[in-house]
Amino acid sequence: MAVFYRIAIQSSIYGCRSMSMFPKHFGDPLRKKDMEDLNKSELTKFYHIPIKAALNNHSDTVFSDEIKLKMMNYITKNGNKALARGLLSRTFEIIKRAQTERLHLSPTDKQNVNTNAEKLLIEAVENSRPLLQLTSIKRGGVNYQVPVPITKKRSYFLAMKWLLDAAFEKDKKVCLPERLAWEILDAAHGQGRVIKKKDDVHKQCESNRAYAHYRWS
Amino acid sequence: MKMFRKHLGNLSRVSTQLQRNVVQLSTNAEASPIEETAAASVNEFRTAVANPGEHSALHVAKFYTIPVEQKKQIFTGGGLPKQYEQQIKTFTEPCLMVRSPALELLHYIKNADLTKPVVRYVLYGDNGVGKTLTMAHVLHYGAINDFLLVHVPWAPNWMKRPKEASNASQEGMLDLPFDAAAWLVHFKTQNAKLLQQLQLKTNKEYVWSKRESTPAGSSLIELVEHGIARIKYATDTTVALISELKQLSTAGQCKIMVAIDGFNAFFHPETRIFSDNKQRVTPDRITLTQPFLDITNYDWTNGVCILSVDKIAMTEGYMDSYMPRYLLGTQGFEHIDPFVPIHVENYTDKEFHSYINYYLDRHWINKTPQGFEEQLKFMSNKNPYTLMQLVKAL
Repeated sequence: MAVFYRIAIQSSIYGCRSMSMFPKHFGDPLRKKDMEDLNKSELTKFYHIPIKAALNNHSDTVFSDEIKLKMMNYITKNGNKALARGLLSRTFEIIKRAQTERLHLSPTDKQNVNTNAEKLLIEAVENSRPLLQLTSIKRGGVNYQVPVPITKKRSYFLAMKWLLDAAFEKDKKVCLPERLAWEILDAAHGQGRVIKKKDDVHKQCESNRAYAHYRWS
Repeated sequence: MKMFRKHLGNLSRVSTQLQRNVVQLSTNAEASPIEETAAASVNEFRTAVANPGEHSALHVAKFYTIPVEQKKQIFTGGGLPKQYEQQIKTFTEPCLMVRSPALELLHYIKNADLTKPVVRYVLYGDNGVGKTLTMAHVLHYGAINDFLLVHVPWAPNWMKRPKEASNASQEGMLDLPFDAAAWLVHFKTQNAKLLQQLQLKTNKEYVWSKRESTPAGSSLIELVEHGIARIKYATDTTVALISELKQLSTAGQCKIMVAIDGFNAFFHPETRIFSDNKQRVTPDRITLTQPFLDITNYDWTNGVCILSVDKIAMTEGYMDSYMPRYLLGTQGFEHIDPFVPIHVENYTDKEFHSYINYYLDRHWINKTPQGFEEQLKFMSNKNPYTLMQLVKAL
């Protein structure tokens, strides 16, 4: 019995489940969109290498988008992605309705109004991405809040999380799509609670800059 | 040390970011995909002809704008689907597409001999193909061409979600006083101008109670206003009004356009209204049903009847087919038997393309990768409602 137990532990340490993964020489599947960007010589590279199976949530339609997919995953609760998809598309509809109406009511500043909800979402996320973060590090028995730079991936995660948190925080009588839509619109225009939160984090980082060296010493 | 400096650099970047103007608008739209044409009203998908009477095959798949005051007059009490109303609000212009079923119907109406008994036209088709909007187009024609409109925006509302049901004076019948009053208000807003013009008078005296009565020779407006003011008698007023209208039009004093959306609700096997003994009531025991069945009969002249039969006017278990015979049942089918069926279908290729162009023009579709139109066509099956739903999040 003990022998089996040891084998089980060893297999979990050395990652014996490699059978379920694609070997490293497999290439990522390409979408039509990506293929258009590549020139022909680059494409020929893919002729003779094996390609991984496509992910089942990726698609080539007008409706698919990288950031939309990510946002959808963050909205999802209990694996109910169909609901999340509905909520997000409803959010986009509300954004578009607000923006389109504004556009048509004031024909003078047509250049200033963006009706593309996806672009607005991207803009909102970019605007609310933090550069630094505070982490608690223990030095000499005291916990210091130390400013630490964060990776690009984490900054995107935080931005989207803050957007969603702000949306969830509001009055429960208003539906999520509506709340989220206004948060996105605010953030895209560089205003609102999410941007304020980001600025607060940055301010704290700046005031704690004296502790910055605790990160490595 | 080097790392430390790098870090400081990062921090100073933060402070510069903090100083930027917060209110600065950073969302400049890119140049719109379509160039704004100077004369937007005569685009390839628009027509400047705003009179439905002048629409012909030339204008098929083109959009025309309903003048705002006319839209207000005809559609304030309903008549356009809720989501279409919303779309009109976002696009800030009430636009309708000229489609062949509406043209067919208009052609029949224009060439009809009004001295003959009324012809019943029945619009039928699958869910979301545009039956109500076809009716709206024809209603616009009627309002312009001096038809008195007897328009029921959505008959199933009375059978499915009435405001209040109370016992009528007749034994075993149920009144829907609030809905009847709402309909009278709708009738009044639609026809106020024309009623003033025509000076129609009632033929007989109506006694509502000991103290209240409408004498013979009083104008129809007075009758309607009495119904609105005394909600208890709204249903009786509706019955009186419609019988008066029939007589007046037969006498040649006015012409009437009857438009009832979801007409098959009057022949549904059951309603959601409960009687005193907690039983579901059949539509023929609702007092409001009777006048509208009466006016769809062919025993009067000088008018047209446009009825639509709809799957979603029924409840679950009765929604298998959109064909009039199935939806109306034997009784209903026999009631309107010699009728002209008009099939409303999904978009044609031309109409679909025109609609996409319209959406692009209104900045409603913002993503235009190659082949998006094909994709939308495939996914929506050229069904107007499905297309509307799909495009919402684009």
